[in-house]
Amino acid sequence: MNSIIWYLREFLRVEWLQKFFFAKTAPLVSPQYFKDYPTTTGNECTGCCTCMMICPAPGAIEVLRRRDHWDPVIHKGHCIRCGLCVEVCPEDVLQSGRVLDVQRRDGTSFRSWYHLAVDDALCMRCGNCCVSCPVNRQEDPQLASTGTSSNDEVIMKIEDGRVRVIHEEKCTGCKTCETNCPNSAIRVARMVQGVHTEEKA
Amino acid sequence: MSILQEIKNRVRSKSIHVTFVDVGSCNGCDIEVLACLAPRYDIEQYGIYVHNNPREADVLLVMGAITPQWTDKLRDLWDKIPEPKAAIAVGNCPISGCVFARRHMYIEPPVEKYIPIAAQVPGCPPRPTEILNAILSLAPTLFKDYEEKQR
Repeated sequence: MNSIIWYLREFLRVEWLQKFFFAKTAPLVSPQYFKDYPTTTGNECTGCCTCMMICPAPGAIEVLRRRDHWDPVIHKGHCIRCGLCVEVCPEDVLQSGRVLDVQRRDGTSFRSWYHLAVDDALCMRCGNCCVSCPVNRQEDPQLASTGTSSNDEVIMKIEDGRVRVIHEEKCTGCKTCETNCPNSAIRVARMVQGVHTEEKA
Repeated sequence: MSILQEIKNRVRSKSIHVTFVDVGSCNGCDIEVLACLAPRYDIEQYGIYVHNNPREADVLLVMGAITPQWTDKLRDLWDKIPEPKAAIAVGNCPISGCVFARRHMYIEPPVEKYIPIAAQVPGCPPRPTEILNAILSLAPTLFKDYEEKQR
């Protein structure tokens, strides 16, 4: 009997009734550290387009040329909020959540280079790639027509009847060789690797 | 405005029936919609009920880049929803195709080609709060004075 009265009194308490009828969860706000769409920090964009190159979503980021400056633009509906553009930017133009803080604390960065792959089954040894390459042109102005060269400083040359890639690290990723290849045998791939530099003690 | 309309407006803003359809997504957005149902976000405290039947729903949440099999069926599904109705595109996929929008992909975004879309929630996936906000801000304004507008 006592317990019934206790319960009745408990359920008639104003606070209890209020809580029972008008309870709501706390207003939902995104936490400070939420990795939202990148925003600009105000640093000047140099127009290197590294962000566009690393972006995994098609059409999510564009670096536009305004009258006197470059302007990275994020397209909602395409951006997947992965934060790679924020992380890869050498000038810290973009920011999102605590990506930049974490990157500074851990000393992480990205290293990128270009990888040249020649499919020997498709390649017909015309040497167009070696001739058209603007870096090859600088290294060895004599290189022409057949793509053979006595110079070892060129990126690639025809040797023993096939394309040999010698100095991959000199490639600037212009893809002139790719567009000039009649068989799409040569492919330029941009390789990216995460690098972790040890903290200076 | 009639009192009946007033009551209808009030009821419609407090009781929104939602159904969701996955037209070829990766399940990320489906999980976010399910998270809305869970106690953390608790979609029912706002009077939003989730059905699996389009005939019971007012709002249709569309998730995923349209696969060829869905191109005709989505329209059928949309026609089954009784008036007044609205469709919300949840996630990047129905808006643009997201990471799948490349050559040789068997998808046909955007979803606006097949059914009228009232709101888009970008994100891959969007936060449950963003989905919730979209439903809550869209449905009452869209269904307000529905009968008056029909006349």
